Amino acid sequence: MKTAVFWGCRILTSQYAYEMSVREAFPRLNIELVDLRETNCCGDPVKSVNDLAANYLAARVLALANVAGLENLLIPCNRCHFVITEAKNIVEKNGRLGQKIAGLLMEEGLECNPNIKVWHVIDFLHDLVGLDNIKKFLQKPLKGLKLATHVGCQIIRYSDLGRVDYAENPLKLDELVNALGAETVDYAEKLDCCGANLMHSHSDSAFSLAGTKINALQNLGVDGLVVSCPDCGLMFDFKQKEAETRVGAKLNLPVVYYSQLLGLALDVEQEKLGLHLNQSPVDQLLPKVSP
Amino acid sequence: MPKIGVYVCHCGLNIAGVVDIERVVEYAKGLPDVAVTRNYTYMCSDLGQRMIQEDIKSHKLDGVVIATCSPAMHEETFRRAVAEAGLNPYLLEIVNLREHVSWVHSDMPDEATEKAKDLVRMGVVRARLLEPLEKSKVHAERRVLVVGGGIAGIQASLDLADAGLEVILVERAPSIGGRMAQLDKTFPTLDCSACILTPKMVDVVKHPKIELLTNSEVTEVKGFVGNYEVSITKKPRYVDEKKCVGCELCTKVCPVEVADEFNEGLSQTRAISIYSPHAVPKIAAVNPKHCLRLKYDKDVCGKCLEACEARAINFKQQPETIQVKVGAIILAVGSQVFDASKMPEFGYGHHKNVVSNIEFERILNASGPTGGQILCPSNGKAPETVVLVQCVGSRDKRFHEHCCRVGCMATLKHAILIREKLGKDVNIYVCFNDMRAFGKGYDEFYRRARDMDINLVAGLPSDIRSKADGSLYFDVYDKGTNKLLEIRPDLVVLANGLVPNSDMAKIGELFRVSRSADGFLLEVHPKLRPLECAVAGVFLAGACQGPKDIPDAVAQASGAAAKVIDLLATGEVELEPLKAVVDKDLCSGCRLCEPVCPFVAIEMKTEIVDGAERLWAEVVEAMCQGCGLCVSACPTNAIKMRHYTNEQVIAQVQAACATSKVGGDG
Amino acid sequence: MAKANPESLVKVLARLSSRELVNCFQCIKCTSGCTALKLLELKPHEIMKLVNLGFVDELAASDIIWTCVTCLKCVQRCPQKASPYHVIMALRNLAVEREAKVPEGYLKAVSQILETGLAEGAQKVVTKKMETFDRKSLKLPKVTPPREGFQPLLVKIMEEKSY
Repeated sequence: MKTAVFWGCRILTSQYAYEMSVREAFPRLNIELVDLRETNCCGDPVKSVNDLAANYLAARVLALANVAGLENLLIPCNRCHFVITEAKNIVEKNGRLGQKIAGLLMEEGLECNPNIKVWHVIDFLHDLVGLDNIKKFLQKPLKGLKLATHVGCQIIRYSDLGRVDYAENPLKLDELVNALGAETVDYAEKLDCCGANLMHSHSDSAFSLAGTKINALQNLGVDGLVVSCPDCGLMFDFKQKEAETRVGAKLNLPVVYYSQLLGLALDVEQEKLGLHLNQSPVDQLLPKVSP
Repeated sequence: MPKIGVYVCHCGLNIAGVVDIERVVEYAKGLPDVAVTRNYTYMCSDLGQRMIQEDIKSHKLDGVVIATCSPAMHEETFRRAVAEAGLNPYLLEIVNLREHVSWVHSDMPDEATEKAKDLVRMGVVRARLLEPLEKSKVHAERRVLVVGGGIAGIQASLDLADAGLEVILVERAPSIGGRMAQLDKTFPTLDCSACILTPKMVDVVKHPKIELLTNSEVTEVKGFVGNYEVSITKKPRYVDEKKCVGCELCTKVCPVEVADEFNEGLSQTRAISIYSPHAVPKIAAVNPKHCLRLKYDKDVCGKCLEACEARAINFKQQPETIQVKVGAIILAVGSQVFDASKMPEFGYGHHKNVVSNIEFERILNASGPTGGQILCPSNGKAPETVVLVQCVGSRDKRFHEHCCRVGCMATLKHAILIREKLGKDVNIYVCFNDMRAFGKGYDEFYRRARDMDINLVAGLPSDIRSKADGSLYFDVYDKGTNKLLEIRPDLVVLANGLVPNSDMAKIGELFRVSRSADGFLLEVHPKLRPLECAVAGVFLAGACQGPKDIPDAVAQASGAAAKVIDLLATGEVELEPLKAVVDKDLCSGCRLCEPVCPFVAIEMKTEIVDGAERLWAEVVEAMCQGCGLCVSACPTNAIKMRHYTNEQVIAQVQAACATSKVGGDG
Repeated sequence: MAKANPESLVKVLARLSSRELVNCFQCIKCTSGCTALKLLELKPHEIMKLVNLGFVDELAASDIIWTCVTCLKCVQRCPQKASPYHVIMALRNLAVEREAKVPEGYLKAVSQILETGLAEGAQKVVTKKMETFDRKSLKLPKVTPPREGFQPLLVKIMEEKSY
């Protein structure tokens, strides 16, 4: 199976582990990744500044996917997935805004393909590849691990837009983790936001939100937290230590990307999955992964 | 030369505010065959009607055109007026200058006036071709089918039976009583529901004119007003109704536990049981899905057979189909309660201590699963903090847009009863959006609740969570104090709204009743004719027409009964003559019309002509609804629609195209 | 005495894809569940009411509209399909147009996009063993910036006042 990939900004400039683990794991599931070339930011921060420009940027990504001539577009970042899905709907509706954007794209000779399917890592693996198929490729099931998942906000809301999973009870990421052999737990704060978006303007509050959730997860007694978005990864993994001061508790929770776990279960070397780049104590987690 | 009178109504400013009445009247004067033209502010008024009647007499009019509001409003009224003046009521043509002109083209008065002129021209052309018609009378059975044995069905049945009509009351459950039987106390009087309901239930079973069929369902409805042929299936109880004495010994020995439907699944009953504490009739019934004998079709168990001293149990009982002829039908099939598991954010179905309002009624009820004690389902202890949350599934575009009408009052009642039962030691919160206490004594009831230290939080929570130990917690913002309240309830009662039955589509098909946008059964007019359906002879009562409380359900039921009594009073029903008619000479017997008719109103007749069998179609007038499908289907033009003949319609089309003015925005 | 400004309200409504997004009946569900309420006192229901009554100018000039986390819970749970999130974004756009209190972070992101096509600059990551890595040392493919025509077109779009 072939799919175009749009990495966005944060993955390409700091969340390298997410990129590395996807690049390692997916081909082992017989998925060929084709990078989009000469990409631009999906427009997420621009939404607060100029809605037209933001939707234009997102639609431009879709148009670049059209240039690649592929029907599937994989988007590993939650925020890109949301912004691009909103823009896709606008272009499809072909109202005043949609027509304007189409006209702007035309100035560069670009055009959107109405048949393109937009995926996130979670539904790509869960719905398109399938849990049974994933299980077939496993080399080292992750037995003995008890994990919590944080699926994030912008890929499950708002339902009317058509999202990756059910907003009030998202289970796909849990099922993907279970497929690797690990146990997952339900918890009251599961649908709470990591706070990443506040890093633009109120970083203290962002740390507070992330730290509060990590603290709650620690009290559950889980071995680690699984995320699937570079913003969530930034908050829970990279900024965990900084969040400590805002929460007034020691934070020591291993945080990994699902693709890193997938890679481990597919017997990829830890360094190739960027596990040395995680800032949270993932070395606490790794010995528990049975040989 | 026909003489036609044209009457243009101002309809106050409804029409005159947009259409230039004078221009229309002037135009009408110039039309051929128009003998008199008039205009008036309210043609439907006494003065307006008399104006027309006097003209009919003095000018000896052959036809009348009234340019006014929709015929759905006053066509009947005007027909009566015209008939009183001695002119056949079907020589009247209504031209709609309101719904078709002033209300939809209010921003284009000039074009609207032109359109009004066009429509009047078309109306006059039709009036010239109208034929006098007579209503016909058919025999009407003085027997009524009431579907649904809740309070509305019960009230209607009693009213009808007291008026001398025979009533067949069909109820799906093994007992009548419906939703009201499940309630503990009723607002705003706090009457015990069973105390006021059971006497009526007993009256029903004792009334000589009421035949009560419980555990039964209507399976087919054929016929027409005055002459409905209904098939009812009596599902087997596997208990002989004449022998069972209601001792419940069978229930005591039955080994199979079944979730008690009457107690909303909060307790278990047995595979053979009496449906509810005050069941009418008090006869046991076997649940075929759970009874071991019936489920596995083997001679197993049989403990109830041993225990029954009356020897009333009969596993060989078969469903029975009963055919009845009735003159009218009243639908009183009630409504359902919203299933809050569709809103997972409130934890219903996930956390034991989050219950629905109807479940809470059973908890409050002395004959319910807790003997009337307010206990948390998880630990059987009395709650210290109870929260009631409004508008669950109602006023919510994600589920049901309508307001459920009873949620606020039911919650206030629950809050008051909690205070009365648990005294001072309980904190009660009601989280609401609006508090709707609209009825007689309702706002006084609201004040009563506030006097009992019930915390009214003006705001709804976003979700309800539980900790690992199962304890509930949530935040809710209160508009009045601008504070975010962090609440830890022991028990949460969700005010789930009343919603249409899940099988409303099937009911609609069975009785040929439409549904409104909210899914409830559709009345002819929500204000002026809220009890009648578009199909003549079918009436609505109770929550099936829209969510309502007991006072409104009872009032509606009596209203529906009154309409039926009126309909069947003379033992005859009048039928409109607007039906299809087949010209036997033109009919080739091709049978194309027969399957096209949605009302099964076409019968094929045969006769022997010159030794050969000849087939032709005949319209069963009483079944015909005048839809016209057969008229268009007939390849030989043998079918004519009275009052909408081809000549009349084509003449109108030609009149419409007569103007040379074609243009504008299209 | 507070004064509403219907003209500013029109500007907000023009930026919304549908009138339904402002159709709020103050049930407060959004505020009860708002991620930014406890820490930053954001009350989505209040913003909706202020907008509906025409008090747009004070909102566009405020700090509060920049506290939204964009978690979208208010959009998901609103029983009237209103969207405080979209209304807040429209207010932010208006604030930018009026050069009100726009946080640095957003303006930085915009200029970064104009420069490199991406909203962030490339960063180095330091591991716990004090080793430093970047794309090159991790052998990740080079990032190709957008073609020439992109920047001037984006500048043109951002300067246009299409409402």
